[in-house]
Amino acid sequence: MQHKIIDHLFRHHYGKMVAILTRFFGLAHIETIEDAVQDTFVKATLQWRNQQPDNPEAWLTKVAKNRTIDLLRSLKSEKNRHQQISAGTISIPISDLFLDHEIEDSQLRMIFVACHPSLKPQEQIAFALKSISGFSTIEIAAALLTREDAITKRLQRARKSIIANNIQFEFPAPHELQSRLVRVMEVIYLTFNEGFHSTNTDNLIREDLCGEAIRLCKLLLKKENFRTGSMYALFALMCFHASRLESKTNSKNEIVDIREQDRSKWHLPMIELAKNALTKATEFDEISIYHFEAAIALEHVKASAFSDTNWNIILYYYDKLYDIQPSDFSLLNKAIINIQLNKLQAAKEILEAIKCDKLGQRQYLYFGCWAEYYSKKGDKLTSISCYEKAIANTSNALEKAYLKKKMDFLGTTN
Amino acid sequence: MKDFMMIFIGADYQELGLSPEQLQERMGKWFAWNEKMSAQGIVKSGDALVPVVKRVVGKDRTISDGPFADSKELIGGYYIVSAESADAVVEIAQDYPDYDLGGTVEIREVMVFNQ
Repeated sequence: MQHKIIDHLFRHHYGKMVAILTRFFGLAHIETIEDAVQDTFVKATLQWRNQQPDNPEAWLTKVAKNRTIDLLRSLKSEKNRHQQISAGTISIPISDLFLDHEIEDSQLRMIFVACHPSLKPQEQIAFALKSISGFSTIEIAAALLTREDAITKRLQRARKSIIANNIQFEFPAPHELQSRLVRVMEVIYLTFNEGFHSTNTDNLIREDLCGEAIRLCKLLLKKENFRTGSMYALFALMCFHASRLESKTNSKNEIVDIREQDRSKWHLPMIELAKNALTKATEFDEISIYHFEAAIALEHVKASAFSDTNWNIILYYYDKLYDIQPSDFSLLNKAIINIQLNKLQAAKEILEAIKCDKLGQRQYLYFGCWAEYYSKKGDKLTSISCYEKAIANTSNALEKAYLKKKMDFLGTTN
Repeated sequence: MKDFMMIFIGADYQELGLSPEQLQERMGKWFAWNEKMSAQGIVKSGDALVPVVKRVVGKDRTISDGPFADSKELIGGYYIVSAESADAVVEIAQDYPDYDLGGTVEIREVMVFNQ
């Protein structure tokens, strides 16, 4: 009697149940709905301790249905006082809501709600992680390296804006769709980056964030309306990166940079998935930052060793990227590539053009880049002092250790 | 062989605000523990308890409703197991999944009256 429960079944079912119930009762009730759903999981956990149901998924769906009916009953008595309860009610029968395609439909609506322009960017990510991905406040705080009470506030503000702006549980109107999709992609990519670039000591949280971002992107790609070149490119980009997520840290939880990573450990099926998506992405007329970022990621994957990397083409893609979206981060990347190409004068000019304070929390990368520059120049002393600045500019213990290792290595060479 | 009651105190999932992911992980551990004990024929019965408490106290039979001040002492469930000795049950209780959440296992022998 072994019933292996699918990984993340509860988490994903949470998102599904919240989406279905919201479709039925309307966004005004989302807090009640989330509490009710949470409650069913606590109950399932206790009930399944001794005996798991034959089909856990079906069990959960049944509970969700019953929950809907319970809620409907308890809300009915308040119906006269709260007219809007019926506003969320839709014309299709309850049982149809639980069909796979309707569940997906409800979840997609929730993605657009989470990325609604009346929510602030930080609220969007927190809300998405809570209501779509079933993260607890503690988990969101850990994932975003923020305090728990700050997350609670963001979630409260998000729910308030939803009600204050009378946001409906609907897809955007056709004329708005493109601009809304742009924001959806930004939020997905931000979520992914929180997982990928964060040096969170908890590897599981990093994987979960990346996994959720990819899952949502995949969900969007299932619907023809949302299949755009940039959506495919974003999917490709995230899969390329995700393929080497595990190689980014070693067993001692130290950062391993791309130069040192064991390329044989990069996840091949993920790379294949990414390549296919990138091919699809190029079949559309549009071209986006995601196209170029994915193309860059592809170049890294293509190289069988760090020394084989085609830096010239990567630099070309970064130039293109900068044309579409000029930013100090792009400049920093261009400087790094120029250093790889030994074009030190060009690297210096770019670095001098960067406004360091615009880089925020990633200022240490800027100083780290200067350190590389001086190291290549053979100016060890200046390089070391740049490393010291870099170390002083990050609070992250993993990054500090990584930079210190590089600095100490410099001290041992002649 | 004697019967013992393992009483699980504290670690109320609802109150701890565990996420669905964490709940699933917990449940897996409980299930594994239960399977292990069942395979050895140790467990006789057991249940989880709903965390809603009513108390009847004193000669006036005063009724009070929870929640009570110290939820860390709330009993969340129990198993009746059969074992050689209390020490053997201590061994069994090593696999209780919720120590890291502040949970406690209390082991009590079921009293048997010899005629």
